Amino acid sequence: MESAHELGELLPLWSAFPFAGMLLSIALFPLLAPRFWHSHFGKISALWVLAALLPLIIIYKGLAAREFLHIFIGDYIPFIILLFALYTISGGILLKGTLLGSPSVNAAILITGTVLASWMGTTGAAMLLIRPLLRANAKRKERAFTVVFFIFLVANAGGALTPLGDPPLFLGFLKGVPFFWTFKLFRPMLFLSGILLFIYWIVDSYFFRRQKKLEPQDPHMEPMRVREPIRLYGKRNLVFLAGVIGAVLMSGLADWEELSFLGIHIKLLDLSRDFIIFAMALCSIIFTPAGYREENEFTWFPIKEVAILFAGIFITMAPCLRMLQAGPEGELAFLTRAVTEPYHYFWATGLISSFLDNAPTYMTFLNTSLGTFYPGMEGREAIGLLIRENPLYLEAISAGAVFFGAMSYIGNAPNFMVRSIAEESGVPMPSFFGYMLKYSLGILVPAFILVTLIFF
Amino acid sequence: MEKMKIEKALFATKFRELAFDSLKALFPLKKAGLREIILCYVIPREAVGFVPFGGYLKGEEERLREEVRLRFEDWQAATSEAGIESRVIIELGEPIPKLLSIARREGADLIVAGKKKKALLEKIIGSDTHSIIIKSRIPVLVNKYMVEYEREGERATRVNDRIFENPFIALDWSAPSERAFELLLSLRGILTCAGLIYVISEKDFNGVEEREFERLKAGEKEKLALYSDRLEEAGIRPRAHLLLGRPADEILRAAREFGASMLFMGTTGKGRLEEFALGSVSHEISEGAEFPVLLVP
Repeated sequence: MESAHELGELLPLWSAFPFAGMLLSIALFPLLAPRFWHSHFGKISALWVLAALLPLIIIYKGLAAREFLHIFIGDYIPFIILLFALYTISGGILLKGTLLGSPSVNAAILITGTVLASWMGTTGAAMLLIRPLLRANAKRKERAFTVVFFIFLVANAGGALTPLGDPPLFLGFLKGVPFFWTFKLFRPMLFLSGILLFIYWIVDSYFFRRQKKLEPQDPHMEPMRVREPIRLYGKRNLVFLAGVIGAVLMSGLADWEELSFLGIHIKLLDLSRDFIIFAMALCSIIFTPAGYREENEFTWFPIKEVAILFAGIFITMAPCLRMLQAGPEGELAFLTRAVTEPYHYFWATGLISSFLDNAPTYMTFLNTSLGTFYPGMEGREAIGLLIRENPLYLEAISAGAVFFGAMSYIGNAPNFMVRSIAEESGVPMPSFFGYMLKYSLGILVPAFILVTLIFF
Repeated sequence: MEKMKIEKALFATKFRELAFDSLKALFPLKKAGLREIILCYVIPREAVGFVPFGGYLKGEEERLREEVRLRFEDWQAATSEAGIESRVIIELGEPIPKLLSIARREGADLIVAGKKKKALLEKIIGSDTHSIIIKSRIPVLVNKYMVEYEREGERATRVNDRIFENPFIALDWSAPSERAFELLLSLRGILTCAGLIYVISEKDFNGVEEREFERLKAGEKEKLALYSDRLEEAGIRPRAHLLLGRPADEILRAAREFGASMLFMGTTGKGRLEEFALGSVSHEISEGAEFPVLLVP
């Protein structure tokens, strides 16, 4: 019987098409047919899943079935449990109070979000702070750029430091990247955040002063008229968040025995981790007064969407990952040959993450690098070697996946949630291309060039 | 205690079939002091927001608002003909919390919510109407204009178009039940008769000696008589029914047997968990009845 690794050498190139179709659907449908996509994205995902599953199971039978099951049980379920928990717990924390959207208050919110993002996830931090930020800036004439910088910093760059921060890093953690290894991205992250905050401060100060000059009598432009004190409600959720961090840490530090389920090996420790994380989310639901979530305008819909779409992404991604792991022996060898230097990885991972979700892109290039350096070697072992012998490659892949997620609305899941909430509040957000031309090309790309020159 | 009355009703709709007929069934309340009906539609956020990797469908929201506004125009014409003022509120958000916050903000005396046949999932997690009942601090009328139901193996359809013709009230001597009674009394202008039901629960009866039970029965009859007197004083002909058994079953049975057009009752406002553990008579009745149920917290 062939092994899972040999499957990577056997798989034909067309087995990657459903993955490409899935990602292109995510990229194009929201642009070209948003109403249709909104109503039918589940069915479209299901279609790509069937296109990936059926032919391979018919051809490779048990071998392919086990591979799909492995990725679903071993990767998708822990991934979605973590996202669900971070989303649920952060949704139970309510920040209230009257704030004036002055440059210093706005910068403080952006810095807070950037710091929190690595510990409560970019989605969690973004959901916690976007509404206070919008309320603070309700009277500002120019607000869209503030939301865009919020997407840059809180919804993306801030999540670079831990596997909790951004989905691709958690996938890396599941595959064997140590929890604290990701701290290696601290310097590039600090550099990028610093540049972005500096630009933001200048632009925001300019618009703030201009509005004050034009409307000197507007009481909302007076400095810091705090009518309702700033207070944080639902603090017990911080305990649940600590529980999640503890559970993830625990699973990275200890080593327990394995269970076998339908031919899939599952570590007892990973199972316990997922159970604890799920329990923390349940505790948050049970012990948080419903009013806090209501005031946060919390809804389960976005996480339901993410769960459905990522089920499709994970399943369709499976053949691609195996082909990449096979390195020069796989049908995707041209990709492993094309990217050779760390900065190649930074830009290749990044540019694809800009338009396709960054989690699968990270996995694709992680496997590309493993296929290049350690073809045929099983995941954890190969990742251990990559970290010891070629750590810059993994840094480049991780930074590319996290940072470039901000390049477009479709680069990272929280981007679209933030955009939706901002537009609902009446902020005239730039169009898809407007965002990229004005902000991504104008600000992010030059910043990424500097990051490349200094770090990769 | 604030006097119970219905001057301002919030009519929440999802534009299901017969929703307009359901609205018209409220018009008789005009004679009992109803001044204004607020026609309310909450655009669910998920209908226009959070397009996966897309964002927000502003155009779709505007289209929905316009569609709802046009529908409400016809409804407003009908309320105006009935001599009742009306206003339209269309807001976006999570339907239940938004609806409750609108009711609070507008100072409504009554929320009118429709009821459809339940899907399997709703039987487990509860319907939107159930959530409103649990969370509302003002009376909620669970309106059911046309109901298909099964009785003794036969399927039947019931149209509840004259809901104030023969109302019943289920009493349990609690404060919410007293408030429900006050509300019933406030409708004296349109009611000619009303039924009173009190059920001695099996729990109170089991293991009780005959003499003690007779004493209990006499006490409850006396209380019922006092409530009957209050109805009579208000010009409403009372019919009192003292029953024994499982409250939800007995109330439903009696209301059916005596042709109740609707049922008033108090509700203690148990949360979902408490309700799951202990059960709720008001919930069971509002779900099981084929006639409208007005629940007073």
